[in-house]
Amino acid sequence: MMGRADSGEAELTQRARVGTADPPLIVERVAKSFDLGSEIVPVIADLSLTLEQGQIISIVGPSGCGKTTLLNTLCGLLAPDAGHIRWHGREVRGQPQNVGYMLQKDLLLPWRTALGNTMLGLEIRGVGAAEAENRSRAMLDQLGLHGFVDHYPSTLSGGMRQRVALARTLVNDPDVLLLDEPFAALDFQSKLLIENDMVGLVRQRGRSLLLITHDIEEAVSLADRVIVLSKRPTRVKAVYEIEFGGDRDDMIALRENPDFSHYVRRIWADLDVGLQ
Amino acid sequence: MTADIESGIVRATKPPSEIAPSPARRRWKRLRSAISVLATQIALLILLLVLWERATPANSPAAFMFGSPSAISGFLVQMARDGSLWRDTYVTGSETLLGFFVGNLIGTLIGLSLWYSRFVSRVVQPFVIALGSIPIIALAPIVIIWFGTGLISKVAMSTLSVVIVALVTSYKGAIGVDADQINLMRTLGASKFQIFRKLVVPASLTDIFAGLKLTVGFALIGAIVGEFMSSSEGLGHAIFKAGSLYVIPKVFAALVATIALALVLTFLVGKIERLLMPWRRPV
Repeated sequence: MMGRADSGEAELTQRARVGTADPPLIVERVAKSFDLGSEIVPVIADLSLTLEQGQIISIVGPSGCGKTTLLNTLCGLLAPDAGHIRWHGREVRGQPQNVGYMLQKDLLLPWRTALGNTMLGLEIRGVGAAEAENRSRAMLDQLGLHGFVDHYPSTLSGGMRQRVALARTLVNDPDVLLLDEPFAALDFQSKLLIENDMVGLVRQRGRSLLLITHDIEEAVSLADRVIVLSKRPTRVKAVYEIEFGGDRDDMIALRENPDFSHYVRRIWADLDVGLQ
Repeated sequence: MTADIESGIVRATKPPSEIAPSPARRRWKRLRSAISVLATQIALLILLLVLWERATPANSPAAFMFGSPSAISGFLVQMARDGSLWRDTYVTGSETLLGFFVGNLIGTLIGLSLWYSRFVSRVVQPFVIALGSIPIIALAPIVIIWFGTGLISKVAMSTLSVVIVALVTSYKGAIGVDADQINLMRTLGASKFQIFRKLVVPASLTDIFAGLKLTVGFALIGAIVGEFMSSSEGLGHAIFKAGSLYVIPKVFAALVATIALALVLTFLVGKIERLLMPWRRPV
């Protein structure tokens, strides 16, 4: 099903329909601009969205439209100028709890092994060393890094480093994941493999995922819903509910589905690329 | 490593060291190039010494002015026999080490802690630049008045030559930490102190060690300058005394000991660096 949403209204009605339990994340009419001294640059005009429990949403937009600003605002690294961000129904000061954050850069600490890097978040939260190590080892195992636990990042390939970064995010057991083009730097094959593993781990635990990407195929193949953003100052331009019916696990077969290319073409048209 | 698309699992069949050319072979290649570099260095040194020896025949004016390798080694043997070589090296070495240690400790602690407050670091900046531009020799008379003519004044000179460099290099390391990495620590819920301890300090180690290597020489200069001003022992004292008496070969002999001391200290810093930063070791 495809539908367009102009701004907040559609989201609000949908929220009313879903009803009782508070969704993990509600963004209500958020605006953000940057003061560059000589001028004020509005980056986010008016943006609303709702992330339901267990839902995967991809956000695509033309480059430079403020996707990263949006993500940094969501996880409390930037304060919005207007609007509300509610995590499980509550507005939070500073960093929200139980939210995992991952960027294109793996940001692994070079002086820590794969295991040490994975344990970082647990260590910070004061989880005991033995428990932190066990959980981290189990997470690295699940991501296929069993033999590389004691390797330093400098000895791992790009795909493996990003897997360690994913392990570092997931081991904290976040209920919401915010990912900013996490696999953009990987080759196609590594990317498919790690996406597959990630979506599996996200769905298996009923986690919610907000994925920012400029790769339309990635957005369509992973998400339940794709939100297309407009050029800066950005707002929601279109919303697509991605429905293939049946099994979505085989990402190669998915790309051969006629609906897949249909979605991709529609979103591509929405992005207005090259018509500046 | 083989990747299996169907199951979506990356399976490791070989350790990564086997993906690259065989390690034994690489080690041998590295060893061979190291040997040829060393051989060339030794050959150059011998050539220089032979030319020097030829140009300064015994009892010639040239031998008086420039010394000769044979006379220098003669003095070295003599100084080793009467024990002054060891005593002087020990004295200068301990002054240098103490100054190196104290100066780097203070400098690094201040430099790293300036990361904590943008405000304080901006307030302090011009003062640091002003202090850093003072030639340390100019401070020697005051240091001797304040700290006397013994060990302490040399350690103070050595510390002063080191402290600003250590402060600047460690501060640079601390503020050079990737902003995204700090954001990541924040989203993991890290406090400012946790960010400092788990990220900023280890991330600055590379710069701190660059500073340590640089300041070995500065610490030695400080100690020698201190000995020049007033002292009764140490390599600086030996150089100064032999120079005043126009015994040029003895000056060179003490200089050789000074160079040897600097090399040993630099080597030790490199060893400690490799020990403390194992992730930078080639695998």
